[in-house]
Amino acid sequence: MSLYESAVKKPITTALIFVAVAIFGIFSLINIPIDLIPEIETNSIMVMTSYAGASASDIENNVTKPLENVLNSCEDLKHITSQSKENISIITLEFEFGIDIDVATNDVRDKLDMVESALPDDVGNPIIFKFGADDIPIIMLSVTAEESTPGLYKILDDKVANPLARVKGVGAVSVAGAAKRELKVYCDPHKLEAYNLSIEQISQIIGMENRNIPGGNIDVGSNTYALRVQKEFADASEMLNLVVGYHNGSTVYLKDVARVEDGLEERAQETFSNLKKGGMIIIQKQAGSNSVEISEKVKEKLPEIQESLPSDVKLGVIVDTSDNIIRTMNSLKETIAITFILVVFVVYAFLGRWRATFIIALTIPISLLASLMYLFATGSSLNIISMSSLSIAIGMVVDDAIVVLENITTHIERGSRPKQAAIHATNEVAISVVASTLTMLAVFMPMTMISGLSGVLFRQLGWIVSIIMIVSTVAALSLIPMLCSQLLRLNPTMGKFQKLFFVPINKGLDALDRGYGKLLGWAVHHRRSVIMLGLAVFFGAIFILGPMLKTEFFPAQDNGRISISVKLPIGTRQDITRDLALELAEKFMKKYPEITRCNVTEGAADTDNTFASMSTNGTHIMSFNIALTDMEERERGLLEICDMMRADLAEYPIIRTFQVTAGGQSGGMGGQSTVDVEIYGYDFAATDKVANDLTRIMKSYEGINEVVVSRDEYTPEYQVDFDREKLAINGLNTSTAAQFLRNRINGALASYYREDGEEYDITVRYAPEFRQSVEDIENILVYNNMGKGIRIRDLGEVKEILTPPTIERKDRERLVTVKVVCPKDKALSDVVALVNKEMKAMEIPSDIAWQLGGTYEDQQESFGDLITLMLLVVILVFIVMAAQFESLTYPFVIMFSIPFAVVGVLMGLVFTGTPMGIMAMVGLLMLLGIVVKNGIVLIDYTILCRERGMGILLSVVTAGKSRLRPVLMTTLTTVLGMVPMAIGTGTGSEMWRSMGLTVAWGLAVSTLITLVIVPTLYAVFAGNGVKNNRKKLAKRFAV
Amino acid sequence: MKAVFISYNQAYHEEIMEIMHNCGLKGYTYWDVTKGRGSFTGEPHLGDHAWPTLNGSLLIMAQDNLVPEFKKRLKALDSVSEAMGLRYFTWTIDED
Repeated sequence: MSLYESAVKKPITTALIFVAVAIFGIFSLINIPIDLIPEIETNSIMVMTSYAGASASDIENNVTKPLENVLNSCEDLKHITSQSKENISIITLEFEFGIDIDVATNDVRDKLDMVESALPDDVGNPIIFKFGADDIPIIMLSVTAEESTPGLYKILDDKVANPLARVKGVGAVSVAGAAKRELKVYCDPHKLEAYNLSIEQISQIIGMENRNIPGGNIDVGSNTYALRVQKEFADASEMLNLVVGYHNGSTVYLKDVARVEDGLEERAQETFSNLKKGGMIIIQKQAGSNSVEISEKVKEKLPEIQESLPSDVKLGVIVDTSDNIIRTMNSLKETIAITFILVVFVVYAFLGRWRATFIIALTIPISLLASLMYLFATGSSLNIISMSSLSIAIGMVVDDAIVVLENITTHIERGSRPKQAAIHATNEVAISVVASTLTMLAVFMPMTMISGLSGVLFRQLGWIVSIIMIVSTVAALSLIPMLCSQLLRLNPTMGKFQKLFFVPINKGLDALDRGYGKLLGWAVHHRRSVIMLGLAVFFGAIFILGPMLKTEFFPAQDNGRISISVKLPIGTRQDITRDLALELAEKFMKKYPEITRCNVTEGAADTDNTFASMSTNGTHIMSFNIALTDMEERERGLLEICDMMRADLAEYPIIRTFQVTAGGQSGGMGGQSTVDVEIYGYDFAATDKVANDLTRIMKSYEGINEVVVSRDEYTPEYQVDFDREKLAINGLNTSTAAQFLRNRINGALASYYREDGEEYDITVRYAPEFRQSVEDIENILVYNNMGKGIRIRDLGEVKEILTPPTIERKDRERLVTVKVVCPKDKALSDVVALVNKEMKAMEIPSDIAWQLGGTYEDQQESFGDLITLMLLVVILVFIVMAAQFESLTYPFVIMFSIPFAVVGVLMGLVFTGTPMGIMAMVGLLMLLGIVVKNGIVLIDYTILCRERGMGILLSVVTAGKSRLRPVLMTTLTTVLGMVPMAIGTGTGSEMWRSMGLTVAWGLAVSTLITLVIVPTLYAVFAGNGVKNNRKKLAKRFAV
Repeated sequence: MKAVFISYNQAYHEEIMEIMHNCGLKGYTYWDVTKGRGSFTGEPHLGDHAWPTLNGSLLIMAQDNLVPEFKKRLKALDSVSEAMGLRYFTWTIDED
């Protein structure tokens, strides 16, 4: 007994099986985590090796080069980049996507073991880091405070960071921008000198005085007492009365030579939130945990935390990655709902029966829920890719059901009983239903096998659509006949509304049938003109529209986040940076009312701030984190605002470089595209010249405001060049002298001040007013073992020099990268063309090579992968069709619909000004399977007519008239299924818009042309076939 | 005794069995899949790509008095939807 026969005969079993599928699906839906994109395992490994005291070029030659040479032999290595700077070498290994990073890590470790003995002796052990998407902070909180500012760090650390770190899944919680408390002992060098004291002595005395020491136990009478000395400072002012020495018989107190300040550490990052001073709390997640879940838990905790804080300390959210995820998911849910309604409406319009519509609509949720079971079983998440796959599939799942239901209806109308009709009618179409599903599988299954980034992304798409297609076919062959046998009636009566609605629709469709019949009749009699016209349309589109097509990688997503990093000339004082930061923040907030929160951090970070120490920081660097209102609530788009901000920043001559990053992260998925020009060459001066020339030329183009050169300028610094001979004469050595210098400027850590279980540093150093000039440094006294003080100016000289910047290398060659950010009105391909033109026009020395990297490289790679995949898919589709028709000619004829799909895609993209990106490519890929389905239906029926004895031309026209409705119906469901995606304006819609657009245009245009050109071509080929047969026969039987 | 041969669209099978039962006919020989085409009207039932429907066939030996009622009912069934296809033929047979 066949599937459909058992289904019809056992309605209860069949119904319950599908109910079970639906229940499992709903269960999965509840339990599937939500994320923005499918989990991409990190593909880079960082190797950090320190070599204290070595300069950048020493590091390059002695550490980086030998390491690179060995690491370069790692398997699946894509690029090896390195940075050699003073004291440290950082090598980043970028592997192909989809490799097992643990295996790669082991490989790297083995390689490092091999080379270790060849490195200089003082080189530290190389440290391996895996850096991935998990390290990107998921939430950033802003903190503003008034009176509590001095103690803010402690408050935040105790009351915010610690409770949050206990939330399950939260990795590191760092407090930034709030300075730590520090007890500073500021000495006056002149007084020290007068009393013959040094910083070291004072620091030692403070250390000795600030002590609690247990003295053991003592028996007094019948009791034992513990004995203690308890002399730790209870208050900072206690220090002032410490005796630090004697001079001319009188006591010298600390207050005589220094002042004590109980304040904040000197060098710290400062954060301003909406122009108010405060701090920032950065929350990172543990690897592998779900951002949305964690961020929900964190947000649940916030009100509780807020209550425990002093009333002037206010918490706010600057960045919450889950927000964007949830909004994107909601807009996708909306898209899916609209698509569902549209598809159901189309089915109803064509069939005119509620029951039939209900039966078909039922396959949609069942197939979708079944695919959710796959997501649950494989531990994947609901994300942009999986959700848009669901939306794509809605329009296609009904196709099989429609074919089956239509045939069952025909049988019922001819008088068959519903039960019998269901079995026999399904039997008739089963093969063609399976065949059309196979063509879809031929498209989507290979998608699960591609490599690279696109492979990681589209594996889910491939699986989901494949599963949905399989389930919908099974449902079409079991559930649909069963439901039809139970629900369909012969000639149901039409209600008033139905009559009102259907009579015109039916009339319209009848007219359309007749019109199409006439058109076909004309076409098959004017075959040559039709084919010439088709060719003209195709080549016209390719040659006229083709050059107008722009390309990109991924569209930039509007998630309402902007991060800006501004660099002033190296060495700019923090005060100046702060003033400018506030000025900019105020300007932005006034000019862009869309800004809800503007957070700016400047200054050098403390070393124990995990997040800040990973990003670059310094007194000359400020970084903004800006949150905008929801995309739906504002008129200006993210990129537009970013471009305007770039123009604003470009007006400040003091700013050396700036980077405005739309979406908070650059490149890859969702960020703004950049063209990275990699200039390879050994000579710094020569490559710098090319890089700077290019920067100047690119900036002269309208709209391009952001061009960043990766190599920093030479850093000015003061070096104290001690004369070894002079040191030796005075009984000193470099280390001792340098230590004296450090204690006076940077400070000596004397002891810790304890209060409420917390420890604060007590540092001793020169008061700020005594360390402001080169003379101040030269006047520093260095004491030797004899107690004699010698000034630094007598030991060496203080020189201002320029240190060379970090040496960057990629694939074992020195390079400098010029990053050009594509403005809103220019696509990636436009900027690439500009860069290519300018670089070719430039005179470049022969030993300098250049190439394009960054987004462009990723795009080219992914396009390459997808084009290979398209060829594979075309071959597979051909094979499936050839097997179905047992012919090589007919599939060839049907495949003529593919070029016209390309025409449609070109028209859609060019007319709407959308660049061709990965998503559009995937849309085109899907089209390969979708467009041939119409051809299959037409040709299949034409062949049927011929087998029933009609002539070729008559068959073509009859088949066309009879199949027009099913073709239009399945096409409309698919096209309208894509429309909500193509015109969506919700959060994240940029991502799938081009895919929807591609499929909708491609399928619409291709269907219109296919309806004429494929039957015409069939007539030509079939006619030739008949003629050839006749000739053969004539030859064989010729007398 | 009369022999009745019915060739009909498979979809009719259950209804014909019911009619037989109602007419008091018990014995039959049944071929579930037969192929054929009519001489005058109707579509062929060949189970192939062009003509996907199939026939079933029944050969019934019946008492003479039961046959007219059976034939009448079959005709009624056929006239409801002629496109489906149902033909019956009777002839007299010897009973040993």
